[in-house]
Amino acid sequence: MLDVQQITVRFGGVVALNAVSARFDKPVSGIIGPNGAGKTTLMNVLSGFVSPSDGAVDCDGQNLLTLAPFKRPHWGLRRSFQKEEIADDLTVFENVLVQIDHSPTGPLSKHEEVTKMLDYVGMSDRANKPGADLNSFERRLTDIAKCLVGQPKIVMFDEPAGGLSVDETHRLGALIKGIHALTGAQTLVIDHDVDLIQQICAEALVLDFGKTIAFGATNDVLADPKVKAAYLGTEEV
Amino acid sequence: MTVSGLKNWLLWAAIMAALILWFSWGQRPTMVGLFIASGLAVGSLYALGGIGIVVLFRATGVLNFSGGAAGAAGAMTAWQLETWGLWPPLAWLGCIAVALAFSLFYGRIVAPRLAWRETVVKAVATLGYALIILGLVSFLWADDPRSISLPTDGVGIRFLGMRLTATRLLVFAASIAIVIGIYFFLARSKVGLQMRSLADDRDLSALIGIPILRVETIAWGIAGVLAGFTGLMFADLIRLEASVITFMVIPSIAAAICGRLENLTVVLVGGLSMGVIENLLTLSPLLRGVRPIAPFVIAALVLLWYQRGQKLTFGGKD
Amino acid sequence: MVNTLFRVTPSGWAGMACLALAIFIVPEIVGTRWLSVFTSTGCFALAIAGVAFMYARLGMVSLTQVGLMGVGGWVTLRLNHAFDFPFEVNMGIAALVTMICGWILALPALRMRGLYLALVTLMAAGGLEIMFATFQFPNGGDGFWGVQTGSSDPFRRPWLAQSPQAYMRYVFVCVALGFVFIEIHRRLKPGRAWALIRRSEAAAIAAGVNVTLYKTWAFGIAGLLAGGAGALLAGSLGLLDDGTFRASESVMIFALAVVGGARYWYGAILAAVLFRVLPALLNNWGVDADLSFVIFGAGLLHAVITAPDGIAGQIRDALLSRRKGANSGKGGADA
Repeated sequence: MLDVQQITVRFGGVVALNAVSARFDKPVSGIIGPNGAGKTTLMNVLSGFVSPSDGAVDCDGQNLLTLAPFKRPHWGLRRSFQKEEIADDLTVFENVLVQIDHSPTGPLSKHEEVTKMLDYVGMSDRANKPGADLNSFERRLTDIAKCLVGQPKIVMFDEPAGGLSVDETHRLGALIKGIHALTGAQTLVIDHDVDLIQQICAEALVLDFGKTIAFGATNDVLADPKVKAAYLGTEEV
Repeated sequence: MTVSGLKNWLLWAAIMAALILWFSWGQRPTMVGLFIASGLAVGSLYALGGIGIVVLFRATGVLNFSGGAAGAAGAMTAWQLETWGLWPPLAWLGCIAVALAFSLFYGRIVAPRLAWRETVVKAVATLGYALIILGLVSFLWADDPRSISLPTDGVGIRFLGMRLTATRLLVFAASIAIVIGIYFFLARSKVGLQMRSLADDRDLSALIGIPILRVETIAWGIAGVLAGFTGLMFADLIRLEASVITFMVIPSIAAAICGRLENLTVVLVGGLSMGVIENLLTLSPLLRGVRPIAPFVIAALVLLWYQRGQKLTFGGKD
Repeated sequence: MVNTLFRVTPSGWAGMACLALAIFIVPEIVGTRWLSVFTSTGCFALAIAGVAFMYARLGMVSLTQVGLMGVGGWVTLRLNHAFDFPFEVNMGIAALVTMICGWILALPALRMRGLYLALVTLMAAGGLEIMFATFQFPNGGDGFWGVQTGSSDPFRRPWLAQSPQAYMRYVFVCVALGFVFIEIHRRLKPGRAWALIRRSEAAAIAAGVNVTLYKTWAFGIAGLLAGGAGALLAGSLGLLDDGTFRASESVMIFALAVVGGARYWYGAILAAVLFRVLPALLNNWGVDADLSFVIFGAGLLHAVITAPDGIAGQIRDALLSRRKGANSGKGGADA
């Protein structure tokens, strides 16, 4: 269970996140909100790229904020970015392998682990293709496989459906839904595709201008008038 | 100013005071004063070079390694024109014109082809340009010792019991005037505002209709004029030699680093401090031989100081 | 896993053929003057390999590689005149000392964005130039700096490589080992980490890569190779002078590394040949060697703007497209 407590982030005079709190305990949770709401900033806090001026993040007893950013993946944090960051020079296999390069297990078991996850996302037939030759959906799939190797505890996706077709989005959704059964990890998803969020996320956090405006079961949250106002805009709620 | 900014200034003041006291122990005050004065003059040149780098970098995203080379070309041109009998002020104008021409040529013809590349790549390209200019200058003028002198070299001004060369005062005054001028230019004029907008976010500026090419040309022009002036002064105060002036870009970079490639006041103060410390090192028999590396050591220490407590390799403004 | 480590690519076979040519044929056909030119070309090729791989694989710019060669040469000379160790020990120690010096010089910049490394190394190159000019190179004298007036003491070459021809072969073998050293890194964990860092430092951190460590490691390799190259140069010439290690030389070999083609071993060799052989040829033809600056600078601009993989990259593309052209007759599946 991921417990985000009162996270506040200031960039100079701008308050990007204002005492955001949420307890994520469902297998797949969503983070939604209009542009500039602070969703990616929240993920950046979890990844360690941004230091909050206040607040704490706890996951099953581990205080995440005390871990150095590059050590959080060793603990079990996984992250994909809005733009798929796949190295052009490496093959699909090597791109996924990097994620567990520094875990203490032996090379054979790492090999198996990578093969297993590539199988899961359906990229094992293209495992030796260099990153430069992949199309954007293949890159996204490789990204996902990378997030699943090495016993992840929390997997974070930042707009994974960006630029995907309807079919590809469906496939993506199915893959995300299967993560918990496959690895036991909890998933957080930021996306603008409300249908996708409804399909796969049991609960959702809605941010606007850095503040929490709703948190709870997805359908309840989407029906909340405050949420509708944030997306569509009204004079005052 | 923030609390930490104030603390940094106090720390700087304390260190400078301590160093000056250390080096001047047992020396006559007027002699120390002379060293400090000539250090301020050289430091002004470092600062001017640094300011040129920073203004251009913020406006165009190009870290220009070729400013020194352009200045060297200008200084050699001025020497040549004077040798041919041209009235000196026209020769100095020639110096500025040549440096300006080199700078504008790069800014209008070469830089646009690299506009969308990474910062490091753009900087590397200016290195190539510096080599070209240096090669041309070395080719056109043989490696004989030369010197250039300005009328202000012979004029002395008495100040606090010391006799200071007018050229040194001129350079020092010029550096302060130029920093103030650029500050007001950026803060008050329309082009200055456009330049700041470009420095902040280039793509967004293009979207809101800022004439990028025009603003960048002006930035390259300012850089060229500064390079010409600095090159001429450097030739007068230090040495008229192409490779020496070209590589004066190194202490300029050191000054620019002190200002984290953005804060002009810190670049000015940093450059001046480096000049002073480098000159004061002459008073130390042990360190006298290696005093030219002072700017580098200072910049390295300043950079390490800025990074204390930083965990990430990116993120933040740098 | 094991077979990817020991797999030899076509480029690798070409490299081995080249090495065989260099070791067996070149020493026989080359006259004594060109012998020393080729030997020093080999030394610089080793140093260029260090600078090139750092730029191509990680986007890190080091403008002080020749200065670091000077450090390696200095240590080698000092050890040679002070103690009785064999050449290989001197070279090893020189390489390690150079690596550590490189780290110290680059430390202020390794945690900042790439531009700062270029700036800091340029300043370091200037600093090293002044140090060498002030303190000169050891030639058998006493004291820490080891400089004496008059003629210099003799230099002990490796036991295997006393004659000029043998020494040239020795240098070529060292260069080949240097390339292999880099390639081994590339195929294992460091290479994967570097590729991801090149793509995005944030993504590398998110993948658990300790970015500072890997950047430092890469710089360390460059320093190691520079130190070895400096040692080999000291062995070739017997004594060194500060004019060889000026800041402008470091800038030049970086420029040439890009012009030659920073991604490929043959690019590094091409760069070394341009660096050492072209000015000598210009002199032969009565052209002012200063023009080589202009040529190299223009070459760098050209490479950066239109041919990012340098001359080596263009050769490679030409060869690959010819191979594709030959294959397209067979059904055109891969066109």
